[in-house]
Amino acid sequence: MIKLYDYVLSVNCYKQRLMMSILDVSYQSIPVDFYPGWEHKSKEFKKINPLGHIPVIDDDGYVLRDAHAILVYLAAKYDPTGRWYPVSDSELIGETAQWMLFAEGTTNTASAARLHVNLGYDFDIGACRESAHRLFRVLDDHLWFREQQGRNWVCSGEHPTVADIAIFPDVILSEEGGISRLDYPALRRWTDRVKRIGGFTTMPGIFPAGPARRGRSGNAGPIPD
Amino acid sequence: MSPDPFTCWHPIASTPDLPERHVFHGQLLGRELAVWRADDGFVNVWENRCLHRGVRLSIGINDGRELKCQYHGWRYSNRTAGCTYIPAHPADAPARTICNRTFPAVERYGLIWSGEDPTGDPPAVAVLDRGTPFGLRNLPVNAPPELVLERLAQYRFEPNGRLHYDDGEDVSVSVCHRDDWSVTLASSQGGSTTTAVFFVQPVDSGRAVIRGVLDETPGEDRRLIVLHHHNTGLIQLRDDIEAEAARLPTPEPMVASIDRVSVELAEIPEAPAGRQASLRVRVARKWEAADQIAGFELESIGAELPTYQPGSHIDVHLPNGLIRQYSLTNEPGRGETYRIGVKLEPDSRGGSRCLHEVVREGDVLAISEPRNNFPLRRDSLCTVLVAGGIGITPLLAMAQTLQKDGLGYELHYFAQSEQHMAFGDVLERLRPSLVAHLGLSPDETARALAEILAHRGDASHVYTCGPAPMLETTRRIAAEAGWPDHTVHFEYFKNTTEIDDSSSFQISLSRSALTLGVAGGQTILAVLRQNGVPMPSSCEQGACGTCEVAVLEGEPDHQDVYLNDSEKERGDRIMTCVSRAKSDRLVLDI
Amino acid sequence: MTTVETHACTDRMIIDQWHPLAALEETEPGVVHQVMLLEEQVSFAVTGSGVPSAWLSDLSATGPVGRQRIDARSVPDPLPVMARYGYLWTSLGSPPDELFEIPEYYEPDRRNLNAATIGLHVSAPRAVENFLDMGHFPFVHTDILGVEPHTEVVEYDVEIAPDTNEIWATKCFFYQPVAAASSESGQMSEYVYRVPHPYCVFLYKSCPSDETRMDVIGLLVRSVTATQIEASMLVSIVDPHSSIPAIRRFQQTVFGQDKPILENQSPKRLPLDPRAETPIRADKVAIVYRRWLSSLGVTYGVIPAEM
Repeated sequence: MIKLYDYVLSVNCYKQRLMMSILDVSYQSIPVDFYPGWEHKSKEFKKINPLGHIPVIDDDGYVLRDAHAILVYLAAKYDPTGRWYPVSDSELIGETAQWMLFAEGTTNTASAARLHVNLGYDFDIGACRESAHRLFRVLDDHLWFREQQGRNWVCSGEHPTVADIAIFPDVILSEEGGISRLDYPALRRWTDRVKRIGGFTTMPGIFPAGPARRGRSGNAGPIPD
Repeated sequence: MSPDPFTCWHPIASTPDLPERHVFHGQLLGRELAVWRADDGFVNVWENRCLHRGVRLSIGINDGRELKCQYHGWRYSNRTAGCTYIPAHPADAPARTICNRTFPAVERYGLIWSGEDPTGDPPAVAVLDRGTPFGLRNLPVNAPPELVLERLAQYRFEPNGRLHYDDGEDVSVSVCHRDDWSVTLASSQGGSTTTAVFFVQPVDSGRAVIRGVLDETPGEDRRLIVLHHHNTGLIQLRDDIEAEAARLPTPEPMVASIDRVSVELAEIPEAPAGRQASLRVRVARKWEAADQIAGFELESIGAELPTYQPGSHIDVHLPNGLIRQYSLTNEPGRGETYRIGVKLEPDSRGGSRCLHEVVREGDVLAISEPRNNFPLRRDSLCTVLVAGGIGITPLLAMAQTLQKDGLGYELHYFAQSEQHMAFGDVLERLRPSLVAHLGLSPDETARALAEILAHRGDASHVYTCGPAPMLETTRRIAAEAGWPDHTVHFEYFKNTTEIDDSSSFQISLSRSALTLGVAGGQTILAVLRQNGVPMPSSCEQGACGTCEVAVLEGEPDHQDVYLNDSEKERGDRIMTCVSRAKSDRLVLDI
Repeated sequence: MTTVETHACTDRMIIDQWHPLAALEETEPGVVHQVMLLEEQVSFAVTGSGVPSAWLSDLSATGPVGRQRIDARSVPDPLPVMARYGYLWTSLGSPPDELFEIPEYYEPDRRNLNAATIGLHVSAPRAVENFLDMGHFPFVHTDILGVEPHTEVVEYDVEIAPDTNEIWATKCFFYQPVAAASSESGQMSEYVYRVPHPYCVFLYKSCPSDETRMDVIGLLVRSVTATQIEASMLVSIVDPHSSIPAIRRFQQTVFGQDKPILENQSPKRLPLDPRAETPIRADKVAIVYRRWLSSLGVTYGVIPAEM
C-alpha cells in the first residue's frame, strides 16, 4: 500500500489525498508533526527526503517527493483510462505540463501567503498576494474562455487532468492567505465544478459543494466519475 | 451633479455568472452580495451575511430552493429570504420575521441589475433593445468608477464584421452617449458598424467592473474572435487605468451599513398578533386535484408572499365571511405561489362549499400570513408520514422537503380510492416512498397502522394528519407500539369534541399584574382581547395551537386536540380559545 | 516603572490582562523572539536555565536580537512575565497576581501540549464565541464532532460563578458520531465550557479512557490587532496511547475547519449590541459571554453596544 508522509493542514499533501481519493487508491497516511514539531526538518525525516519537504510517497519501496511530481506518478500509474495524465495526446500533455508549472506559481504565491498568515513563515506577504492576484487574473480569464468553448477544466480536453488537482487547493484556500476571489467569478465556478468530481474529498478549510441538480448538467457540464 | 448612486440601478453580475446551484459573490457600493439562481429561475440578491452570526452566505450551499449557511445550517427560502429551518432547534418553526435583507433583481441585456434602493426601472438602452445584445467578458478594475468611465470613452475597437481584416482602412470610434454609469461607443470601418455599451458597476470607491454589451451577436464562427478582441483591448485599458489610479491617493473604502435586527428577534419572543388577514392573493389556478378536492394556486398581488415552512397553514377569509385554515402543500423555495387543497365537506357549513362553488380563477382572497404549528424536524434519518384523506396536504410539503434534503421517509396515504388521492403530479415525484392504502375500513386501517408503526427501523418521528378518529387511532397505536409522546406529531383539521364552556374562573396575567374574570360562555381568548391583550389565534376551536399560553399556576381544563396527553398532564400550557380552568384561578405567563 | 504609558490599544481592561506570547516548548532558549501583541511588538526570551523575560521592542534602536545570552536583569523596562501551563505570558499593564487556575494541568499522568499556534483574520472574541458553540459541529466538523441530521442543541445551564466571575456552561450535550469502526451508532457527549478570561476559553470533556476524569482543551488567544489573532490550543488530556502527532493532527483538523468560518464573519469584531445578530436558545452561553464582556467594559476586539 502507498504510504503518504502527510500533514493535515498542508496544501501539497492534500493534493495527493485528493488525487488518490478520486482515483480510488487506498493509502496509509503517516502523520508528520510538521507544525509545531518541525519533524520534516529532523535528521530522521531527511533520510526519507533530504530536502526536508512533504509530501513524500513510498509506493512499495518506490519513494517519490514533490507534490506535482507525485500527482503525475499517481495519475500515470493508477488511472487506467489515461485521462488524468493524458500522455497519448501530445497537445494535451503539453498543456498539462504548462499548467503544472503554473501550479508551482500558485503554490509559491497564494499558498505561501497562507503559510505566512497561519504559521508565521517569513515571506514578503505583500509580494505574495500581488503575484497571486496576477496569476488568478490569468486563470480566471483562461477559464472564462474555456466555458465559452463548452469546456470545464484547465486543459482543453473534456476531462479534468492533474493540472486541475494541482491548482485547485492553492486557489480554494487563498482566502486564508488574505487573497479574496471576489474578482474571479470564473475561477469560483471552476472550484464548484472540481468539488463535484466523483470521489472529491475535502481538507480543513474547504467546504464540500452542494448537490448538483439531478438529471441535468447545467453549466457545469458532465461530471466525470 | 450625479444622482445618488444608491437610488440607481447597477449591473452586479452577468447571466452566465449564475449557473445552477452556484452562489455568486458580488459587491456594490461597498456592500457585499450573495447572488443565486433558484431552480425555478428566480434570481436572489441578498446581503452577504447570515443573520445569525454574520457568516458570508456566498460560501453557503444553493440547493435549488433554499440557501444553506455553512456555519449552523440555517436555511433561507428562495424569493423571500425568510428563514425556513434552524437545525439547532429542529422542533421549532423559526420566527417568520427572521428574514435576510434582499435587493431587487432584474435581468436585462444578459446582466443582473440591482441596487441599494433603486427607483424606477433599470435603464433601457434603445440600441440594445433594437439589436441582438451580446455580452463581453466582464472586467474588474482596481480604480475609482468615475475614472474607469472617463477612460472607457477612449476605448478603441473594431466592428464585429471587420476584425482581423487589416487592410489599413482607419477604424473610427465615436462616443454616441454618455451618462453617469455608462458610455456608448460606435466603431465603424468600411461599411460595418458595431455599437458597444459599457456599464460601469461601482463596486467600491476604488474598484469597478466594466460590463460591456455589443448591439449585435456575431455569427458562431466569429464569436470567440470578437470576445478575444474586446478582452485583449479591455485588459490593456484596465492595465492603463490601474497604473493611473496607482498614482492617485487611495480613496477610503465605502462602509455598508448593517441593519439591526428587530427587538423581537434580539429577545426571541413570539410575535403577538390577532386574527389578521394581512395578505391579498389572486387565485392563479383552480383545478380538480382529486374527486371532491379542489386545488388552488394562490399568487401574490404585489410583494413576494411571506416565507413558510413545511407544516405551515394559512387562514383563508372567504367571500361569505367565514374563516378557514388550509395547509400549504408546496415545499418552501419552490415557486412563488401558495398551493392549498380543499375537500368539499358534505356537511359543509359554507367554507369548503364556498371555495368549491363560488371562488374562481382570477378572484382575490384575503389570507393571513402563514403560521406553523406543525413544524417538521429535519434531524431524523427516517420520518414516517401518515395521511388520511385531505390530511395529505401538510404532509406533501413535508415529504418534498425531506426528499430534497436527502432524508429518508415513508409517506402512507390512506384514501378511499385512487380517484380520491390528491395532487397526483406531486405524488408521482414522491413515488418511491409513497405507500397507498386504499378503501380500508376503520378496522383495516387500524391493522395497517399497527403494522406501519410496529416496524420503527431508523424512524424516530411520526407526523400524522387526517380525520379525528384516524388521528386518535394513530396516537393510540403509536403509544402502544412504544413511540414516546414527543415523537408523534399530529395536526387536527378541527376539534370534534363537545366544548363545555359552562365553568367560571379567574385568570391572573403574571406579566401585566392583571386579574380578569372568565364567565360561563366566554373564552379566555375573548376576555383577553376585550381587555386589550393582543393574542394571536387561528382556528379558534382548539386544533391549531396558535393561541397557546404558558400556565404558571392552577389546573387547566383542557378541551383542545392540539396538546398530546403528556403535555396535557404537565398542565403548563393551555389553548386559550377553548380550554378553561378546573381550579378557581389560572396564572398565565402573559 | 515606565513613566507615561501610551498604547495603541486603549482598553485598560485588556491592557491589564495576562496574554500568551508563545508555547515554552517551542521557544528556543537564549534567543530573542518577537511577536505582536495589541499592535505592539514584544520581544521575549528564555535563558538556558529557564528564566523568562519580555520587553517592548525598541524599534528605533538595535536592541538585543538574535542568538545572544539574555540576562533578564539587563532589560531596561521589563514587562511582567509568567510561565504557566506551558506558555509564556506577559502584560502591557498591571496584571493580577495570578492567572486563572487549571488544577488538572498538574495531575501527574496528564499529557500537556500545545497543539498549534495559528494566525487568523478575526477578533479574539469571535474566536472565543465559536469555541463555545456546539450548533456548528455537524456542519463544520462533519463526521468528527457532529453529523447531520443530528443537529439539535438541547437546553443547557449557564452561570457566572460569583466568586471568580468566570462563565460556566454545564450539562451541554451533543450527539457525536463514534470514531470507532466497531460502533454503528453515535452517542451523546457531555461538555462543560468555561470562560475565565476575555480572550481565553476552555472545554472539559469526559476522557474516553477514564469516564471519571475530564480532558481539558483550551483556546488561548493573543490579539495581534483588534481583528487579527494568533490562537494557541492547549491540550491537557488523559490519553496514554495516542502519539503526539496524532493528538495534534486531530486538534489542528478541528481548528483548520473553524478557520474559514471565522474569517468569513462580518463584522470581524464581535458586536455586543443584542440587535446586531439573531440569537437562538442554543446561543445562551454566547449571549452571556457578550453581556459579560459588556459588563467588564471590554472595547478591544468588540463593537460595544450603544448605551
